Amino acid sequence: MLLEQVEYVRPTSLEEALAVLTEVDGAAPLAGGQSLVNVLKNRVASVDLLVDISRLSELRSITRSPDGGLDVGACVTYDELDRSPEVREVHFTLGDVAAHIEDQQIRNKGTIGGNCCLSDPTNNLPPILAALDAVMSLRSASASRRVPAAEFFKGYFATALEPGELLVSVTVPPMPARSGAGYASLHVAADAKAMARAAAWVQLDAGEQTIAATRVVLARMASVPVRDAGVEARLAGAEAGEAAVRDACAVAAEGLRPIDDVHGSSDYRREMAKVMARRAVMQAIDQARGGGDGAERTRRGGRG
Amino acid sequence: MTERGTSHAISVTVNGERVSRVVSARQLLVHFLRDTLGLTGTHIGCDTGNCGACTVVVDGKLVKSCMLLAPQADGGTVETVESLAADGQLSDLQRAFNEHHALQCGYCTPGMLMSATYLLRQNPDPSADDVRRAIRGNVCRCTGYVNIVEAIRSAGSAGKATLATGSAEEV
Repeated sequence: MLLEQVEYVRPTSLEEALAVLTEVDGAAPLAGGQSLVNVLKNRVASVDLLVDISRLSELRSITRSPDGGLDVGACVTYDELDRSPEVREVHFTLGDVAAHIEDQQIRNKGTIGGNCCLSDPTNNLPPILAALDAVMSLRSASASRRVPAAEFFKGYFATALEPGELLVSVTVPPMPARSGAGYASLHVAADAKAMARAAAWVQLDAGEQTIAATRVVLARMASVPVRDAGVEARLAGAEAGEAAVRDACAVAAEGLRPIDDVHGSSDYRREMAKVMARRAVMQAIDQARGGGDGAERTRRGGRG
Repeated sequence: MTERGTSHAISVTVNGERVSRVVSARQLLVHFLRDTLGLTGTHIGCDTGNCGACTVVVDGKLVKSCMLLAPQADGGTVETVESLAADGQLSDLQRAFNEHHALQCGYCTPGMLMSATYLLRQNPDPSADDVRRAIRGNVCRCTGYVNIVEAIRSAGSAGKATLATGSAEEV
């Protein structure tokens, strides 16, 4: 056996799941299991009781919220995000990011909640959710609270979740008029983890010529995704074109110290953060003007 | 709520046949298929979710069976490579693998066949790019990808039409 002895239980309601997670020391939620099962095989973490939440209908839906945003249940899979007409219509880029996570088998099981709660700095969804200003809904047996994505990720494999608390849904606000999102990653090989990554949200002014508001999030530059205030300040009011965006992104990752390892030096990663930020912002501008999904919002080719 | 414990009585429909067994909570689905049910067509390559040799279809979804616990499949359906040949006759896809020499050592083949089966159910006429994307989670250590892609495409509807009309056109 690869795994240590472990107990398993499959609650039939969210209330049951929350009660078990609160009552049992060493209980952990099992959603898609695409990271947790490997963690258990490697015996790097010990879990006494696996609480299988993957079938709970309360965690499985994608709904349009009254304001036009999205409420995504924590156990919605990457494949479901990719194929959801609602996600593609409101937040095309979120669906597109999900569509490119690993492979079909993993996309069929891995969940948005698991991707966020693992808080692996190489995970794809945290930076785009931070750029889209998503809000995480947490529940325990006795209370519920909402935490902005920017405050949810606390460090390597660490989140704002308290013992007994479960991430139940992710709320992504609507995409305002004249705004769009972008996402860019640098991979040395197709299956390698990203070395530098940026996600951006941009809103243009009424004339669509200058940038009115932005959120630019860098990943792999620290243990968690970080908003780059320097880039955002330079983009505010700037012309929405390649030259001005390049100029603004030249200060990306200033003051940050990404890791220095065999895959790339810290300096190289910081340099690439500028490129990823520029690409993400340019994509966002394109989408804000109706391209890159905006007008057509058709599913891109290459579905598998 | 299912009973909490280290072993569980599960019922799973495997390749159309309903089986009930008591399994350990820590047993991987791939070990359940191979060791408990004797369905050794599903291979174990890496044990870490990287190689795709253990790929099967569970409840209509393509998954790696080394990344699921056996009790997670309780109440569901599992399709393995053994389900592809009906009455001892290879499926069109399996014949295409044979015709295109799409296997060398054969170790990755069961996983490749399941990924291809899943693709063709959703997209009966995939492009070469569609196929490459669909088998991204399946590693061929003989690196025989070109013939695998050709075999899968030829088993698609366009490929079959070409075969039927005897056209020599490249598929």
